[in-house]
Amino acid sequence: MPLKRHQAQWPWHALLGLILLAMAVGLWIATKRVNYEWRWERVPQYFFYQDERAQSAPLAGVVSQIRPDGAYSRVDIKPADGGAPAAVAVETETLKVKAGDTVAEGDEIGAQRHWQIGPLTKGLWVTIWISFVSGFFGLAIGLVAGLCRLSPNPTLRGLAVFYIELIRGTPLLVQIFIFYFFIGTVLNLDRIVAGVGALALFVGAYTAEIIRAGIQSIAKGQTEAARSLGMTAAETMLHIVLPQALKRVLPPLAGQFISLIKDSSLVSVIAITDLTKSGREIITSSFATFEIWFTVALLYLVVTSLLSQLLFWLERRFARSD
Amino acid sequence: MIKVNNLTKVFASRGKPVRAVDDVSTQVNKGEVVVIIGPSGSGKSTFLRCLNGLEAFDDGQVIIDGVDLGDSKTNINTVRREVGMVFQHFNLFPHKTVLENVTLAQRVVRKRKADEAENKAMALLTKVGIAEKAHEYPSRLSGGQQQRVAIARALAMDPKVMLFDEPTSALDPEMVGEVLEVMQQLAREGMTMAVVTHEMGFAREVAQRVLFMDAGKILEDAPPAEFFTAPREPRAQTFLKQVL
Repeated sequence: MPLKRHQAQWPWHALLGLILLAMAVGLWIATKRVNYEWRWERVPQYFFYQDERAQSAPLAGVVSQIRPDGAYSRVDIKPADGGAPAAVAVETETLKVKAGDTVAEGDEIGAQRHWQIGPLTKGLWVTIWISFVSGFFGLAIGLVAGLCRLSPNPTLRGLAVFYIELIRGTPLLVQIFIFYFFIGTVLNLDRIVAGVGALALFVGAYTAEIIRAGIQSIAKGQTEAARSLGMTAAETMLHIVLPQALKRVLPPLAGQFISLIKDSSLVSVIAITDLTKSGREIITSSFATFEIWFTVALLYLVVTSLLSQLLFWLERRFARSD
Repeated sequence: MIKVNNLTKVFASRGKPVRAVDDVSTQVNKGEVVVIIGPSGSGKSTFLRCLNGLEAFDDGQVIIDGVDLGDSKTNINTVRREVGMVFQHFNLFPHKTVLENVTLAQRVVRKRKADEAENKAMALLTKVGIAEKAHEYPSRLSGGQQQRVAIARALAMDPKVMLFDEPTSALDPEMVGEVLEVMQQLAREGMTMAVVTHEMGFAREVAQRVLFMDAGKILEDAPPAEFFTAPREPRAQTFLKQVL
């Protein structure tokens, strides 16, 4: 009997499929139990919807003629006092007058429809850009704090340790409240600035530790080789140590930024209308609680998976020299 | 070229101080090849690393080409660019190609133009016989090839002195020859060299002087012919009996 045995893999794949299916069925039964009525058809309108804007007659007069113009109709109104005629364009489907009708000023003639971006899309966008901006600043803060953490200067090192321990030892929710209500009030900050600031400081502390670990993981011989060529400590860090360290910490950094996207949902507590807050607002008016929360979760999942794919691709590109 | 007076380096390991280099005085003249041998832990690598300030020594004086390393007015970086160093584990920069390894310090430290640095690098890579690998990453090279690139990288700074810290100890036996050949060629061209090595053949053929170190002290300083045939120190005699 050889030590290496060939076992068929498909029964295990089948088992996996079966388990996932069982979970889906369980979910379905559970919602049946609570008599929840699914209304998925209500969800799309919160991404995009058609806004109807009523068009009214600008002046009193008689509808002289109606000319079709694609999906629109152009309604010409001739004023009773013989002034200049006015034209109103409305969608043919919504047309409420016919030629020869007398209209008073302000009478509804029809409506124009426009596609509008719904609250879920707006919230998603807010979540993405808040995460991106705070991630950018967080990376910068983390880089500086990580370098300070390794500095031979006790003051810089102490400050970095203080910052990292302070942030890592307190909940993000509390930090957001302090940043908004205390620092935001003292410095008169906008809520968005406070939210981004709190997130950036939060992610910066974790990034600092990741970067410190990355720098320390680079073999001492690299620094020695660079210094022996006459490079200064700063040049060595810039050209030799940091590029290698950043490449090495890319996977944990990716995890940190994926966490950041999810953690950004906490800024909804200071009334920033991100994806989570949009979801909550929609639920108060639509009562489609389950659908909206599932949709919100799915949107977060899509964003985080896209980011992890992007970072995976970056990682493979950097692996060229391995 | 190198002058060492009463050099002392103490390591405080677990509260017990170890005198890795203990009151060593010697000198290396211009164009001279000095080989430092001795049992492991005798302080020969530490001594060599003190010569370019990689190891901060506790006492004594190191003077390179008239510049005192310990002087507070000395900029250690300007001294180091005159002193090339080759390491046991090559320490090439893995994220840079072979060519970039050789050009980087020229550009950053010597502020040379890109094409000037590249020409210089290619000439040196040709000299060490590895020009065809210029655009590869170090991880694709064998140990012997990596060490030759490391030598080219050090030479690119136009050093006045070259320090070799066991340059062949991490190599497979069949690659030792190619590295020693490059070093031999350098010696013939009149480079001032200080070499820590276990290659007795190299010491015998190339060195003008052999320094035998044990317990942080230089016990013997003699031409190779004399050292290998009639060592005076009993410890040198025992050492030679074991390695030859």
